[in-house]
Amino acid sequence: MPYTHLELESHDWPFPNRYFDPAKASALYRTYVDSMIHAESCGFDWVGCNEHHFSPYGMMANCNLIGGALAYPTKRVKIAMIGNLVPLNNPIRIAEEYAMLDCMSGGRLVAGLMRGIPHEYLAYNIPPGESWERQREAVQLILKAWTEPEPFGWEGKHFQYRQVSIWPKPMQKPHPPLVISASNADSAKFAAEMRATMGMVLLADLPSGKECIRIYKEAAKASGWEPTAENVLVGMHTCIAETDEEARRHLAHGLKYFDEVLMGGLQASQRIVLQKTRYFENEESRDRWKSRLDKRRTLTLDEAIERGTVLCGSPETVVKQIKRIHSELGHGIFNFTVKVGTLPDEVIRRGMELFRDRVHPHVRDL
Amino acid sequence: MQAQARKVSLSSGELTYFIAGEGRPIVYLHPAGGVRWTRVLEGLSKSFALHVPVVPGFDGTSAHGAVKSMQGLAKLLGEFIDKVIGGPSDLMGCSFGGCVALWLAAERPDRVDHLVLECPAVFRPKGARPADAGTLHKLLFLHPEKLPAESKPVEQELANRRMLPHYRAPDDTDAELLGKIASIDKLTLILHGTADRMIPKESVQLLKSRMPRSYLMYVWDAAHAIEVDQPERMLSLVESFLQRSEGFMVNWGTLAVNPG
Repeated sequence: MPYTHLELESHDWPFPNRYFDPAKASALYRTYVDSMIHAESCGFDWVGCNEHHFSPYGMMANCNLIGGALAYPTKRVKIAMIGNLVPLNNPIRIAEEYAMLDCMSGGRLVAGLMRGIPHEYLAYNIPPGESWERQREAVQLILKAWTEPEPFGWEGKHFQYRQVSIWPKPMQKPHPPLVISASNADSAKFAAEMRATMGMVLLADLPSGKECIRIYKEAAKASGWEPTAENVLVGMHTCIAETDEEARRHLAHGLKYFDEVLMGGLQASQRIVLQKTRYFENEESRDRWKSRLDKRRTLTLDEAIERGTVLCGSPETVVKQIKRIHSELGHGIFNFTVKVGTLPDEVIRRGMELFRDRVHPHVRDL
Repeated sequence: MQAQARKVSLSSGELTYFIAGEGRPIVYLHPAGGVRWTRVLEGLSKSFALHVPVVPGFDGTSAHGAVKSMQGLAKLLGEFIDKVIGGPSDLMGCSFGGCVALWLAAERPDRVDHLVLECPAVFRPKGARPADAGTLHKLLFLHPEKLPAESKPVEQELANRRMLPHYRAPDDTDAELLGKIASIDKLTLILHGTADRMIPKESVQLLKSRMPRSYLMYVWDAAHAIEVDQPERMLSLVESFLQRSEGFMVNWGTLAVNPG
């Protein structure tokens, strides 16, 4: 949910909010929520949103509010919060809000428990070096809050509570399905240990995605379970239009804003966190992250399409792209990020309809 | 930690015990491996008069011929409190000691004030008790590197464990005790390590559901021997509970940089 009314220039993070116009944001929220409701009629299984802070990159400080707005106008589609940034927030509050959403939606919540990208730690003044410890502890605490039959207390390193007994509890038993980001070896292992669906977005290339999936499956086996294709989520920027040329033109325009405005200012703050803190527990993971960002930044749209890290084209082209990527990764969930920068909302809605009519029939049985 | 070894003559024989510190009395009942001097006991001895009786037959002491059940052991320890302390005492039991503590609270409620149960070995699936030292060690400790340097030899721990049948300590569920716990009205703190694979969480959940005045606390990043894995956190919890009673639920701290 980006803020799309800025000039094409980047600012350091945090992005000064003097550029923020609440009236324009009000209209954007409405448009975004309407598009997500429309997705249900286009045959999508999920609609999802995420959490970001202090920048036009995403106007969702708390994606659960959007989840609440989707719960009643939709009837079938799963509401995927992918997701709350667990180490930055009060885990009990996350457990409560997710439980509310699950009840309000009649058991349609997909619960994303994310660690958050590096600069988000600056926003909430949480030590990045504690991110993994906080993530591991908080996820366990959230699961306890959902599943314990008796009031309980928690004495942890980062979180302490004397009495927990949340109302409501989730509708799905034992708890809503989990999604945990798994874009590197450490996070892939953690997702597997928690029996969560692994989520990968903004891939640098397919081989690196394939490697994370291998690590995840291996770790799941060591933890005593066997993931299915439905436990692997791959997310990509997506633009479907009547012709390849039209899709490329729209996505190129949207990506320009995405790279120059939305991502532009983030890079300096990301670099500070990565270089000065132990956000990553080892150098290998840190280098992989940096290399992934660098690779993405230098790719042209044509190169990204060629590498299979972006879906873009006519319905027929996108069918081929989906089949190719699926044959490489074998994943069961494809997350289409359709709002890319300033990509026009009418193009997005039309793209969703093209997906329903001319893409989905050819890929639904993959 | 300077603990003094003493002996007291009770109706069925002599009982060895240790005492350390001054203040309000607390009786600590050791686990099946015998007395383990942890940083939690050391910390408690700084604020309380810590009494650590050695269950007859453990740690090289002689068993009492007339005491052959958990109930009998509880009565013996009640007599110990009568004779050595002379009034009600806070009571803390670890694992097997937690089971004894529950029996004591059920049999001699007049001698128990607050009750602390550290991963009490009361209800567990049959066959869950580990057979060999290696498995036992893995189940006990998530952070074995924190074991006190002066820990006793494994052989002594295993010899202590062989005393369990003498007291007819149940291998699985102590049905007789289960029938009594609802009558225990002592303010109780139940502790369980989030990585405890010796005593299932269902066991402590059951205790919590049956004991009307109990609190269940999970200690993160700890296996069965919470005292070894997370001594600082456990000590802080136990002290807060003993000192504040129901007020234990309140956060009394402050995160303010300049609270004045």
